[in-house]
Amino acid sequence: MNTSAQVSQRGTEYEVLSPWADVDPVPLRGITPRPEDLAGRKIGLFLNHKRAGYLSLSAFERELLERIPSATTSWYECTGHNIPEMLTEGKAKFEAWVGSVDAVVLAVAD
Amino acid sequence: MTDGRSAASNKGMPLVRIVAETIPCECSLKEDVDAGIHLAMGQIIEALTKPLSAEEQSPKRKGKEKPSRIVFKGQLEELNRFFYKRGWGDGLPVLPPTEAAVREMLAGTDLEPAHVVGEIVPRHGKATVEKIAVNAVMAGALPTHMPILIACVEAVTDPLVDLGTFGTSTGSWAPFWIINGPVRHEVHVNCGSGAMSPGDIANAAIGRAMGLIIKNIGGGRKAVEDMGVFGNPGKYSSVIGENEEDSPWEPLHVEQGLAKGDSAVTLFFPNSYSQLWQYGSDDMGILSTLIYNLLPGRGGLSCLLLTPPQAKTLAKKGWTKQMIQKYVFEFGRIPAYRHRFFYGVAQAHGHVGTVPPNGMDPMAIVPSPDHIRILVTGGPGAFVALVCGAGLPGRQFVTKKLRLPSNWAKLVAKYKNLVPVYEKY
Repeated sequence: MNTSAQVSQRGTEYEVLSPWADVDPVPLRGITPRPEDLAGRKIGLFLNHKRAGYLSLSAFERELLERIPSATTSWYECTGHNIPEMLTEGKAKFEAWVGSVDAVVLAVAD
Repeated sequence: MTDGRSAASNKGMPLVRIVAETIPCECSLKEDVDAGIHLAMGQIIEALTKPLSAEEQSPKRKGKEKPSRIVFKGQLEELNRFFYKRGWGDGLPVLPPTEAAVREMLAGTDLEPAHVVGEIVPRHGKATVEKIAVNAVMAGALPTHMPILIACVEAVTDPLVDLGTFGTSTGSWAPFWIINGPVRHEVHVNCGSGAMSPGDIANAAIGRAMGLIIKNIGGGRKAVEDMGVFGNPGKYSSVIGENEEDSPWEPLHVEQGLAKGDSAVTLFFPNSYSQLWQYGSDDMGILSTLIYNLLPGRGGLSCLLLTPPQAKTLAKKGWTKQMIQKYVFEFGRIPAYRHRFFYGVAQAHGHVGTVPPNGMDPMAIVPSPDHIRILVTGGPGAFVALVCGAGLPGRQFVTKKLRLPSNWAKLVAKYKNLVPVYEKY
């Protein structure tokens, strides 16, 4: 390969191009407002395809309902594996579910 | 936590609230999960109820998306340290991607340098032809490798391959590149003895270049986005050609829908590569080796490597690639208790309903015959090789046709004598 080196007093020098890529800026979004407390609220539990996700959310649900008995929960199981839910056939169902809950917890559980 | 933050940022929600892990990971015992959640409950409830800060409501952009084109000037050792400290490498020295070297690399394509071949996840970096060439120079690739690298980028950005999962997963999946067609001979892709070993520029530099491209353009940083538990030496380079001339069957790219005269790259993401003594020299001995050594801990896309003599033995007995795929699927079975899905992960991994009720019932290791490909390659000897990947629904072997530049014959002639000639002793 032609490396087009320049020889200076310090020795051979190379002026090189960056291998790091440009990206188009992703539009940034803020997170949704929070309820003041969880009493009487419906908390969404988003289940990904990780084994510990179910265990983590089950533990959270159990502790939540012990601490705040008036809270309720609603589970949602994702449609695809590692695919944003809005890009799956479950989009409409997901949107309806999100609209029905006051807050959502997802356990990454990886 | 870093990978969760990065994933949210790359989707435009950098300030999503994440409670740091107090639970080890996916392998945790239930009692550890319960204890971890108990400890984290206060933080989770706070994350659900604490009023939003101004920045959480309207996050500000940090960092610049457009890096300088010329990035460094210095001696070879200095630039290697500069690149290494920025994470722009694979731990081995790189060749300097000077303007002239990149220009020479670009002789391997008719596409414009600014042409975007694809965007590589997780960072969605633009894989322009020039950026591909820069990384190719760094890896020691030749201009004749450019059409292959461009096809490789097309493959790795195909959603059916799912780099988003396999490039970041704890499973340490490594891209496995299979090259077919006349280009194998034109750029000296090793399809014979020791094809997977170091020593051939094409097999070594194409895979290495793709490793750099995935890392530097896709932005998959080790232990930040790439969460591979053990890692995988296959990420340095896993490139192999099919020995089409010594195969009794149609080559892989023809099975994948291309013409025999086309040149092509096929990609999938395995995480294991095992080589096994054949159980016998006849057809049933070879097939037994395959079906008794599939990995019940994997059970997904699997490429089974057979040598030309083994393929000929099978073909003489009437076996085709498709028949072998069906046979391996049908008879590559184990008692269900030996399959990982039996232990409660079938649902978690999208395979609901695949586990028989009785642990002694037979269960297929690979989900379907279409999860299997047969490749004729390697040198003579009594080994078969199994290259095994994951069985996520919808993921496939992906094949992309090469587009050769108008100066191809001239380019091939320029580099055709660049082959190792060992001293005789």
